Amino acid sequence: MSSDPVRADIGDSLAIEVKGLTRSFGAVSALDGVDLEIARGTVFGLLGPNGAGKTTTVRILNGVLEATAVECLRVLGHDLPRDAAAVRPLVGVQTDTSLYDRMSALDNLVLFGRLYGATRGAARGKAEALLAMFGLTDRAGDRAGTFSKGMRQKLLLARALVGDPELVYLDEPTAGLDPEASHELMVHIRTMSERDHTTFFIASHRLDEMEEVCSQVAVLVDGRIRECGSPAEVARRAVPRVLVRVAPAPDAMVRPEVLRGLPGVVDTSVQQDGSVLLEAAGSSDVPRIVKAVAALPVDLLGVGEEPPTLAEAYLTLVGATDMVRGGGS
Amino acid sequence: MDWGRVRAVMGKDVREALSNPQIVMPLIVVPLVIVVGYPIIYLLALRLTPGAASGLGGFIGDFPRSALPSFALANTARRAAYVGVVYLFAGFFLLVPVMVSTVIAANSLAGEKERRTLEGLLYTPLSDAELVVAKIGSSFLPALGFTWICFAIYTAIIAVFGAPLMGRVFFPTLNWWALMLLLLPATSLLVISIVVMVSAKARGFQEANAIGGAIVLPLIGVVAAQASGLMVLSTTVIVVAAAVFALADVVMLRVIVRSFRRARVVSYLS
Ligand SMILES: Nc1ncnc2c1ncn2[C@@H]1O[C@H](COP(=O)(O)OP(=O)(O)O)[C@@H](O)[C@H]1O
Ligand SMILES: [Mg+2]
Repeated sequence: MSSDPVRADIGDSLAIEVKGLTRSFGAVSALDGVDLEIARGTVFGLLGPNGAGKTTTVRILNGVLEATAVECLRVLGHDLPRDAAAVRPLVGVQTDTSLYDRMSALDNLVLFGRLYGATRGAARGKAEALLAMFGLTDRAGDRAGTFSKGMRQKLLLARALVGDPELVYLDEPTAGLDPEASHELMVHIRTMSERDHTTFFIASHRLDEMEEVCSQVAVLVDGRIRECGSPAEVARRAVPRVLVRVAPAPDAMVRPEVLRGLPGVVDTSVQQDGSVLLEAAGSSDVPRIVKAVAALPVDLLGVGEEPPTLAEAYLTLVGATDMVRGGGS
Repeated sequence: MDWGRVRAVMGKDVREALSNPQIVMPLIVVPLVIVVGYPIIYLLALRLTPGAASGLGGFIGDFPRSALPSFALANTARRAAYVGVVYLFAGFFLLVPVMVSTVIAANSLAGEKERRTLEGLLYTPLSDAELVVAKIGSSFLPALGFTWICFAIYTAIIAVFGAPLMGRVFFPTLNWWALMLLLLPATSLLVISIVVMVSAKARGFQEANAIGGAIVLPLIGVVAAQASGLMVLSTTVIVVAAAVFALADVVMLRVIVRSFRRARVVSYLS
């Protein structure tokens, strides 16, 4: 857990504060001592494989499920589960639940708007705006039961936003969405985060999307947080290997043996696109290696450090290291 | 308690139920038989086949004469018509709201669980008490409305098919008014409360309907069996019985509202 030592008003600036969260279902331990600190305005990504405990975490953070044991559970400055009623009006949640299939898309949203305290008219206005935002205006009057999976998902997302929440939980928000819709959603999330200072708590295993949109992530495996921080920090910590990518020009040839002989280089591997990845002994060796490669009598398109990705970090932490790039070649 | 939220959920529930043929069909068929079919056949038979009444035997023959007004004592057909319409069918009539309530109540909470819509509601500002009250209300009000519609239809049928036989409009009697306006609402509310309580634990509509029915039906069986007898007694007795049920309702509602915890409902969700 990275924590800022000079944050005086830490209680107010945190959207979510969790310490020692444990939950078991009979003999199955779903969460085993989870700690989280999420500042307001953060786009936070909770990453983890199926069954890691993401949905359970979202449920407990909303007071919809009880913790088996917890030292501290504060959301938007309120203690849960005691003050859950004070938190709910400020929060919107999208999880893998169903819509009212016999009601129109618009009526589904109006119902939830009214549950968040809006008058029928105000709820309708908000619902129409959200339907427009998610490109569902044409289908506003159709029964939700007639929608495709992607359209339902959009409607569930719209429903989570209908109460103008300060904090939004999205549980696998891009499941069933096509790439363009996923991308649009990421843009919406970033806009709302920057413009309205909305906090997002996103549970997902779409690593590329999370890397793109999240300012902070945590990797949850078997009910425990394995890493936490910005995507770059997490990647660095989880993947200690330092790589330098050498991309030769189309007709040029670089001999891997030559590269392996350079000082500071531990290993090399040729990639499918013809580039070569050099593993450096440490990050302090990188400038030296880059200089040496650039000095070689070969035409290059580029040479530079290849920072580890969130996907690599995730796969390492989850224990699927064999699939990590460069591991086998 | 925010009544706007309660109303929103109730409105949603009623609209959903009315658009569901699985719910609407039994609501049409069963009352059609009990409220329309039986009385028409019974009254027509008495009018068209003069010997029919004597064949009805013991129940009508032995029925205390003191329970019948003088105009109904004129002949056997009139006696049979009066006993049937006023006393015999009262028991059947109790089944209508019970059935309607059980079906709608089982559908509303357990059905939402089964269709996986309930969890969405639990994340909103809707409080536990508001949810329970909305679920009970969205079963109670339609059941009551529906029963009163049936009552109106029954009254009209008796007027059309029974009045010629009797020489006057003799229905509804004061006891029937007390039954409809006091006793039925009070018993329906109890039935619905029980079914909603069961629904909170049940996995789906069928289970809630079955368990709810198993608990409720014996109770109603006793009441229905006594209904004919009850209708013979004075109106005061019906009013007192309704008051006793109303008291049970209050106790039951308090228990349910206090014991319902959303966190416990989700533990049962997958
Ligand atoms: N209601 C429940 N009853 C029993 N076990 C559950 C329940 N909910 C979750 N679990 C178990 O808890 C673990 C974590 O589940 P979940 O939080 O849904 O994971 P994720 O959302 O990360 O895929 C799993 O092993 C799951 O089977
Ligand atoms: Mg999940």
